Amino acid sequence: MSKIVVLGAGISGHVAAAHLRRKLPKEHEVIVVSPNSNYQWVPSNIWVGIGRMKSKEIYFPLAPLYKKKGIGFKQAKVVTFHPEGDKDIAKPYVMVEYVTEERKGEKEKVTYDYLINATGPKLNFEATEGLIPGTNKTYSVCTYHHADEAWKALSELIQQMKQGKKAKIMIGTGHAKSTCQGAAFEYILNVEQELREHKVRENAEITWIANEHELGDFGIDGMLMSYGNMTMKSKEMVEMIFEDRGIKWIIEAGVNKIEDGKLHYETLDGEFKTETYDFAMLIPAFSGHGFKAYNKEGVDITDKLFKGFMIVDADYTPKPYEEWSVQDWPETYQNPSYPNIFAPGIAFAPPHPISKPRTSKNGTPISPSPPRTGMPSGITAKIVADNIIDTIKKGGDISLHHKGSMGNMGAACIASAGYGLTTGSGMSITTFPIVPDYHKYPDTQGRKLGKTFGSIGLAGHWLKLALHYAFLYKAKMKPFWWLIPE
Amino acid sequence: MTQRISKYQRFIMMNPIIQFFKFIFLSIKIMVIVAGGHGGTKSE
Repeated sequence: MSKIVVLGAGISGHVAAAHLRRKLPKEHEVIVVSPNSNYQWVPSNIWVGIGRMKSKEIYFPLAPLYKKKGIGFKQAKVVTFHPEGDKDIAKPYVMVEYVTEERKGEKEKVTYDYLINATGPKLNFEATEGLIPGTNKTYSVCTYHHADEAWKALSELIQQMKQGKKAKIMIGTGHAKSTCQGAAFEYILNVEQELREHKVRENAEITWIANEHELGDFGIDGMLMSYGNMTMKSKEMVEMIFEDRGIKWIIEAGVNKIEDGKLHYETLDGEFKTETYDFAMLIPAFSGHGFKAYNKEGVDITDKLFKGFMIVDADYTPKPYEEWSVQDWPETYQNPSYPNIFAPGIAFAPPHPISKPRTSKNGTPISPSPPRTGMPSGITAKIVADNIIDTIKKGGDISLHHKGSMGNMGAACIASAGYGLTTGSGMSITTFPIVPDYHKYPDTQGRKLGKTFGSIGLAGHWLKLALHYAFLYKAKMKPFWWLIPE
Repeated sequence: MTQRISKYQRFIMMNPIIQFFKFIFLSIKIMVIVAGGHGGTKSE
């Protein structure tokens, strides 16, 4: 009998737990440890943030589902890792601390045969002074609570604008090293459309602010893509949309301080500037959770497991941008020191960014961190689950037959550009591979052109809506859920 | 505001009938790209 412990119940952790439970006989134990009581479909937070969806439409409680499916669930947060056990326990374990009212603060050693660390990122709002969602007129859509707050503030502002108030809205990244530009991009287009729906667009100045070197970088070094009969850069596509919608932009900006209605940032040119605003939605920096790890003797071995995020089978040798290759990226998400520990999704430490790193004249790094959200999170979690399943079923050494590098993986990003069954819009973008392979595709900026394309229109909105329902159906593990790909 | 998307392009983008067929086309195309497999890079 094997015991698999999954840390985290986000897209990655939930996908891994669901596949493990489906494919492994019941004598094997699958346990999920997560401080969150609900599963949330994060991509739809955008629509919660514009009041087009209620937050309860995008989440559901995990405990009843896990009970029904035979998955153990501990509503707790992991505190420390003990991959060799300790003097009292020979088996590896994680120390967890319960967060529920009844057991708050209670600690437990959860032993495992296999550990999947799918703890995702820490939303590091503290990295930017004054960037706390719900204060200083700044908001976030990273969680459904944040998105609810954002909509409350935005709807109040819309009411004031209906009385004639002129408003400045800023949306983008709230730190020089933020990632997940795509979420902010969706939100700015949705906000713009909502203001038009409420007939107050004329009263608003909307500005995109980001750490990208060019528009459309999205933390993946931009894209050259097929667009209809043309070949277009993602920069040109985003520029076309922003200009068409009257959205201004500030790029190469590292936001470093927020005050009430005031945003301070540094540019790559080394200038320090300030913008005022009435409403801002800024994506924070993502960071690791700062976990500690100890060996059998209680000696700190954190550097064997973590490098901010968890160390996996990537090549972490420092290299200049020109020498980066897809071979640097992990393909099994296995920790090299402890082969029974894996870290799919955002929890793994990337070998380096994907976009070219840039530093301001003052020495401040201002460029996007690499995204691993959404589709790659699900795919890498399934790869890890499949390898553990093979290992348990076949016995012997750990099987690493299933592989999936972000340098050999396609991803789709369906970016909402406005909500409405007949008035909505969306940008459907696919990219292959996610990490550009400049060696294999030297003439098309590292991407396969036919598989890297963009399309704008109502169909994109329908697609995003269809994915919302399909992925919630899948997450609820309803009949044949596993037929829906990650 | 600069009109970068022509009225004709906008008509194509927002026409429900045209977009219905686009929806079918995109669903299949995205499925092929995303579910079309992935693999390692280190043994190449």
